[in-house]
Amino acid sequence: MKKIVIAIILLVVTGGMTRAQSIDVSGFARTYEGAKTESGDFSIIQQTLNLNFEKKGEKAAFKANPMLYLYNSDSLHLNLRELFVDMYFSNFDLRVGKQQIVWGKADGVFITDVVSPLNLTEFLLPDFDEIRIGVIATKLDYYVGNNTFEFVWVPQFTPITKPASNSIWYIQPDFPAQPTFNWNNSEIKPSLENSEMFIKYSAMTSVIDFDLMAAYTWDDTPAMHVNKIIDMSSGSPVLSGLNITPEYHRLSLAGASFSSEIKGVILRGEAAYYNGKYFQTEDPAAKDALIQKDYLNYVLGLDFNIGDVKLSAQFIQKYILDFDKNMIDDEINNMATFLARYDMLRETLHLELFSYIGLTNEDALIRPKLTYDFDDSFSILLGANIFVGDENGQFGRYHDNTMMYMKLKYNF
Amino acid sequence: MKTLKFVVTVAIVLVTSFGASAQLTGREIIDKTYNRPAGDDQTSILTMTLINKSGQSRVRKIKQFTKDFGDMEKKIMFFMSPADVKNTSFMNWSYDNDKADDQWIYLPAIKKTKRISSDSKSDYFMGSDFTYDDLGDRKLDADIHTLLREETINGFDCYVVENVSKDDEYMYSKTVSWIRKESFVGVKKEFYDEDGDLLKILTIKKVEKISGYWVIVSSEMKNIQKNHTTKINLTDVHVNTNVPASKFTERMMMRGI
Repeated sequence: MKKIVIAIILLVVTGGMTRAQSIDVSGFARTYEGAKTESGDFSIIQQTLNLNFEKKGEKAAFKANPMLYLYNSDSLHLNLRELFVDMYFSNFDLRVGKQQIVWGKADGVFITDVVSPLNLTEFLLPDFDEIRIGVIATKLDYYVGNNTFEFVWVPQFTPITKPASNSIWYIQPDFPAQPTFNWNNSEIKPSLENSEMFIKYSAMTSVIDFDLMAAYTWDDTPAMHVNKIIDMSSGSPVLSGLNITPEYHRLSLAGASFSSEIKGVILRGEAAYYNGKYFQTEDPAAKDALIQKDYLNYVLGLDFNIGDVKLSAQFIQKYILDFDKNMIDDEINNMATFLARYDMLRETLHLELFSYIGLTNEDALIRPKLTYDFDDSFSILLGANIFVGDENGQFGRYHDNTMMYMKLKYNF
Repeated sequence: MKTLKFVVTVAIVLVTSFGASAQLTGREIIDKTYNRPAGDDQTSILTMTLINKSGQSRVRKIKQFTKDFGDMEKKIMFFMSPADVKNTSFMNWSYDNDKADDQWIYLPAIKKTKRISSDSKSDYFMGSDFTYDDLGDRKLDADIHTLLREETINGFDCYVVENVSKDDEYMYSKTVSWIRKESFVGVKKEFYDEDGDLLKILTIKKVEKISGYWVIVSSEMKNIQKNHTTKINLTDVHVNTNVPASKFTERMMMRGI
């Protein structure tokens, strides 16, 4: 109820601002319903109102982007996705406030794109503009021609949002004994010492576009520090329980990305070297069942056309250096993505097929979509999310969640 | 008398031969059309109205800037409407030499500037009847240009030039252009499909002299086979206002207008 009141106040206040300050208002209203094909149960019933309030001037700009999500009939979520002020100077721009920052050249995979964390409450299914969480940050862009130096300071760490335990996207971890969680160390208090820093140099030229980046950040997913409880009452040691302490750790990385056109084909690449990530291990000698390793994550992609069909393919590899055979993760994890898109009827009917393909686990998420624009504002989308393959894979394990869905959207 | 006849004959021969040497070739006419003085930079608002065979219309509005950098031309477009493409921007760098254009699109929803292929020039622009190629400057020597005849159309003395692509895979088997002789501004252009049938007719509706340069401010492309039409109107046109080079950067694509 409190959230509804806040939302109404927000709408009234901003409506008044809009009239008084001639603030530009845009956004969309959307209804989204999906049902699981196997059981017929609804997997999602979501109504969304996205509002963009913007005011742009010669020297400054302002943007507020509240999003209201109504689940089922009475569960309202207000998400202030962005709220920032821009200041424009001759050679540099400054953006202060809550903002989404997107880096890199890859599509649908996040390698150097590490500033804004992900909201994975609905796995990877939301549109990519909705899957990122805004961070409160100060961003400075300094320009020299078509070269940009970007500095981002994030005073408060924001982790990935994971599905709640009652969500169809929640995966129950498999423990050998009853776990007890201690969440006392799982919060990073905002302070200068705990802040995150990101730096990027990017260039746009007639031959190639490229970025170089580095980050001193926190790992968005907590490391699970595991302590075994051994019961000796029977005379021999028996594992009777686990004390698990989720804890966030510092992570530093450096990376680069590029895109270039060669004879009508766009070649894209992105790579990052992650230093000192904590991985889970079954090595009995390891402290807290964790081991620190560096890893390399990279993607190579092509965008091209065959006739009127637009195609895109990416190969992604994650490679753990100095691999230890007791580690839970694979030393090498290969994945691919594939996109085909065809627009017809004067760009009013759009057919799309996007797939994540797990090459290591032989599983996939296949996402066919058909969108029809009734007019410039109103569109209907019919689609499916099909999970196939190995049930231990990151896609195959959701095979029960294969669904069909419909979205009706009104843009304004 | 004999002397007079001789003089007249010489004069006729001279005039005829001068006339013949002054006769432009098809290539020269198209060269003058493509390279007609257009100023160093131009700003305008482009309104594109798409009309289907039932008469229903959809409107796209774009603010655009172009600037000549000598051996290259840069263009940046900011989409103002419809709502689902608002704040999207598109930048094109085209070169006088044979280098393919460089193109980028900024998608505000995903906050990303993407390099896109300029290979798809036969794609229709935003669902209109204009391809990217129809809207841009096609390379002069991409086609073989032949002067067919001279004729008067809409009160203008025109060259009629046939243009046949050197690329067998090109979407048009030929185009035929009517070009005003005194200003090298187009009046009409016909587009023929791969089977040689008339596909589209472009009609220049209005030309204005702005800051001393001819600018086409109103035109219409009619698809004869599918019976739909796209109208383009330019408003708020300014020429030579010293648009800064910094306008044609990723910074501006992301900032918008």
